[in-house]
Amino acid sequence: MATDVKLPRLGQGMESGTIVKWLKAEGDVVEKGEPLFEVDTDKATQEVEAEASGVLLRIEIASGEVPVGQRIALIGAPGEELAISGAPEMTGETTLAPAPAARDTEFRAAINGAREENGGRVKASPLARRMARERGIELAGLTGTGPDGRIVAEDVERASASASVAPPSPIEPPPPAPTAAPPSPPAALPVDVEAIPLTNIRRTIARRLTEAWQVPAFQLTVSVDMTHANALLERSRDLNPALRITITDLLARVCGSGLQRHPEVNVQFSDESLLRFPSANVGIAVAAPQGLVVPVIRSVERLSLAEVAAQRLQLVERARTGTLQLADLEGGTFTISNLGMFGVEQFSAVLNPPQAAILAVGATTDRPVAVEHEVRVLPMMTVTLTVDHRAVDGAPAADFLRTVKTFLEDPALAL
Amino acid sequence: MAKVEKKRALSDDRLRDFLREMLLIRRFEEKVEERFRAGELPGFLHVAIGQEAAEVGVCAAMEDGDVFGSTHRAHGHTLARGTHPNALMAELYGKIEGCSHGYGGSMHLYDVERGNLGANAVVGGGLPSLVGAGLAFKLRDEPRVAVAFFGDGATNTGTFHESLNLAQLWQTKTLFVCENNEWAESTPGWQHSPVFDDMSKRALAYDMHSIKVDGQDVEKVYAKASEALDYVRSGAGPVFLDVETYRMHGHYIGDPQVYRSKEDRDEAAERDPIVRLREKLQVSSEDWQTLEDEVHGIVEGAVEFAKNGTDPQPEDALKNVYA
Amino acid sequence: MPELSYREAVRDALATAMRADEDVFLMGEDIAEMGGSMGVTQGLYEEFGSERVRNTPISEMAIVGAGIGAAMQGMRPVVEIMYEDFLTLSLEQIVNQAAKHRYMSGGQIKVPLTIRTQGGAGWSPGAQHAQQLEAWLVHIPGLKVVYAASPADARGLLYSAIYDDNPVIFFEHRLLYPVKGDVPETLEPIPLGKARVVREGTDVTVIATGPLVHRALEAARVAGAEGISVEIVDPRTLQPLDTDTLVDSVKKTNRAVVAHEAVTRMGFGAEVAAVLQEKAFDWLDAPIERVGAKFAPLAFAPAMEQFVVPQPADVLAAIGKTLGRA
Repeated sequence: MATDVKLPRLGQGMESGTIVKWLKAEGDVVEKGEPLFEVDTDKATQEVEAEASGVLLRIEIASGEVPVGQRIALIGAPGEELAISGAPEMTGETTLAPAPAARDTEFRAAINGAREENGGRVKASPLARRMARERGIELAGLTGTGPDGRIVAEDVERASASASVAPPSPIEPPPPAPTAAPPSPPAALPVDVEAIPLTNIRRTIARRLTEAWQVPAFQLTVSVDMTHANALLERSRDLNPALRITITDLLARVCGSGLQRHPEVNVQFSDESLLRFPSANVGIAVAAPQGLVVPVIRSVERLSLAEVAAQRLQLVERARTGTLQLADLEGGTFTISNLGMFGVEQFSAVLNPPQAAILAVGATTDRPVAVEHEVRVLPMMTVTLTVDHRAVDGAPAADFLRTVKTFLEDPALAL
Repeated sequence: MAKVEKKRALSDDRLRDFLREMLLIRRFEEKVEERFRAGELPGFLHVAIGQEAAEVGVCAAMEDGDVFGSTHRAHGHTLARGTHPNALMAELYGKIEGCSHGYGGSMHLYDVERGNLGANAVVGGGLPSLVGAGLAFKLRDEPRVAVAFFGDGATNTGTFHESLNLAQLWQTKTLFVCENNEWAESTPGWQHSPVFDDMSKRALAYDMHSIKVDGQDVEKVYAKASEALDYVRSGAGPVFLDVETYRMHGHYIGDPQVYRSKEDRDEAAERDPIVRLREKLQVSSEDWQTLEDEVHGIVEGAVEFAKNGTDPQPEDALKNVYA
Repeated sequence: MPELSYREAVRDALATAMRADEDVFLMGEDIAEMGGSMGVTQGLYEEFGSERVRNTPISEMAIVGAGIGAAMQGMRPVVEIMYEDFLTLSLEQIVNQAAKHRYMSGGQIKVPLTIRTQGGAGWSPGAQHAQQLEAWLVHIPGLKVVYAASPADARGLLYSAIYDDNPVIFFEHRLLYPVKGDVPETLEPIPLGKARVVREGTDVTVIATGPLVHRALEAARVAGAEGISVEIVDPRTLQPLDTDTLVDSVKKTNRAVVAHEAVTRMGFGAEVAAVLQEKAFDWLDAPIERVGAKFAPLAFAPAMEQFVVPQPADVLAAIGKTLGRA
């Protein structure tokens, strides 16, 4: 078997060398230890000795730069047959310098995790930022008393003590555009701040809505002329005084029809497939004493407005008394959240996972509106649809929303 | 007295042991050079080819319980004091089976069980602690010697001078072995030392007892080293052993020795201590071949062992920082 | 409680260890009959003799190296480097040898060496006799670094350092030697790696070492009169650092000042500040302030020396900055 002659590593750090001259020719007899060729390293030109005895059967690389370890010639027995070699072989990788462990995964986790909003260019101490985050206070609205106008903890405390913005009680419908990422561990609070332990329902709300927050979502807003809808509701109430049919009932019924028309919105994204539901099970967000709950009215599209109202009444009653069954809460495909009764004009709701859409409803107020180049005062209601973009694209969502608006503006079409 | 004489009379058997030892070191070092050129050994390496007699001679004269520290050129001392070639080769390959468990490499070989307190990559860096070890032996009244190996290049460092000064002042049980191979990296003796022609003048400056010996004759080295060790062990004070040897190859593997003439290198080959001893013992060709085969087997075995060794876990890098 | 000066406390730790343990011995320049240039080892030569209290030539490398060698053989030498400026002469042995033997041998060797040294300004010693170099040693894996500020701490920590199986650099300060303090009746070893809360407070944490612990106390008194409550924490061991205690304190007060006599730039305070912002970022209501010597060698003339070396007023100013309002 012929012996490979490889370019040796002549010094630590040597990666390649330039063959300058062969001191033996093909066919020559070579003794181990005899100088065989000359190589140029970055330090010097030196002779390299043969490591085997025999006949120099073939010179594969006569001159030029060669990486360390590459075969450059063959020494063997006289007359030995050599296998046809195309490109010279490289030595297998040595035990030297194992590849550094890839830190990619750590890096990606770090940059993807920490997509926290920075409060823009507002100057605030880290402590102040955290306090503001935890209390739901917008830094931008505060005046800083620290050096250079920096907002410090004291400023946030002052703001949260005097503000009536943050609702004091835990009974809240889905909060508007949530601001931040997972909460950090509590600071040492000033003495007069109460630390209320988290209930299970609060934890669950937090967990599920945090999940939802990570979904790529978009919002579509539309304003609806409620003239006809209001008229319908009034007439219904006249007909059925015991059953106070509300806007929410109408919305639920209308959305049900809308979802039948646009089944591509009545879906849920799952890892393997898109789940499409045959029926619209509309959840209504209710502020129960123990926290937000979303009881579901099943197959809304098949119910009359009165039937919707009746079911809704029952569910809300059960919610208020804490007697909701699991069946009441399961199976929703769409959710409506109405904060109009608080005077909220417009808001965006957080998706109710795993549902792909949720409608946030504002108050109906008289507003000047341009209608056919004239200004009229109309009862307008602004609704915002939040959509899971993984499951539903913009156009179908907008289409659905247009249908809802149309139905609300002309309820007869829906019923 | 009788014991000392017995030790000095070296039988042919003993000399053959030395020859085998020296040949093992030689072939080991050649194999190390070969594996380095093949790209298998990380870092850089310094082989002691040509200095085997100096190393085997001194190490054979040492006793169990003696400690020593070596230089960046430490494979010879390490093998000569009993570290198994497998453990040494494994260390060069960076495996946990290595004598320093992969933490040290060629220039930081330790084998505490065999008294090896570490090869040192800082020229002269190990000397002060061997003064300290010699001090401990003295304070505790132990018949042990701390042997400091170093080269002629080290005789110019501050640590060398401070160490000799303190050792002589406190009469510590330290033996200073200067392997004068006439080269400090690329600088020949006459260029780096004002007393290069007679290194023992260094000892004179500190009033230290010195002994000079031809480092290419293992028998002589053994005799003189025994004398030196006896002296130190008895508490009579430290000794400077000036061993005149020769570095046959470059400073490090791959050193093209541009600073050395070819004649110079050829002359070095004439002073090969292994050839000298082989001739002196008149070893037959068959016996020589047997010896070569035996040594070859050991060295090849060491490479096999090392290649099959275990790589340390990356996180092991954080262990052993503190006791 | 009995009282000892810092100097006496150090001496007591050495003597206690040497009485109990034959393996403990001292090496240093002028430590025998003279009792050390700072008088720390006075009386020890008389009690233990010249074999165990060894005067050395002016040979910092050999002294430290001999200590390393004896320690490797299982003894517990305590080497004195007269001025920490002269540590520079022995750094090769400390950094390349002592710190690394255990590691390079794969765990076969221990170096239970203690190096005592002192430094510090305030008495016009000039630039080469007044440096504070602890930061250099904290930077070296394999070394432990201690800097006690009180007699009780000095005594308890030095004793623990002697019995630690790793090389420990034990820093003392010239101006602290005569300072008296309460000490326990019998020597109580203090574990390395534990900080001490010197003074409790709620508005700002001052992390200080050596003489700055005392200057911080002065500043705290003045601040207290203004209604500011200052907490002072002394790490005592710089390596390993008791991060938990420091971080807990800053999480309580939300403000931090780090103070040492060493030059501010690249000083130990920089490491502490980095660790604090890493671990207590969301608790910080102000940037961390550093107090240290200004960036110049130490001048001889007292007026210039005073200007460069951090004083209580500098600590007070830093405290003020953390509480500052526009």
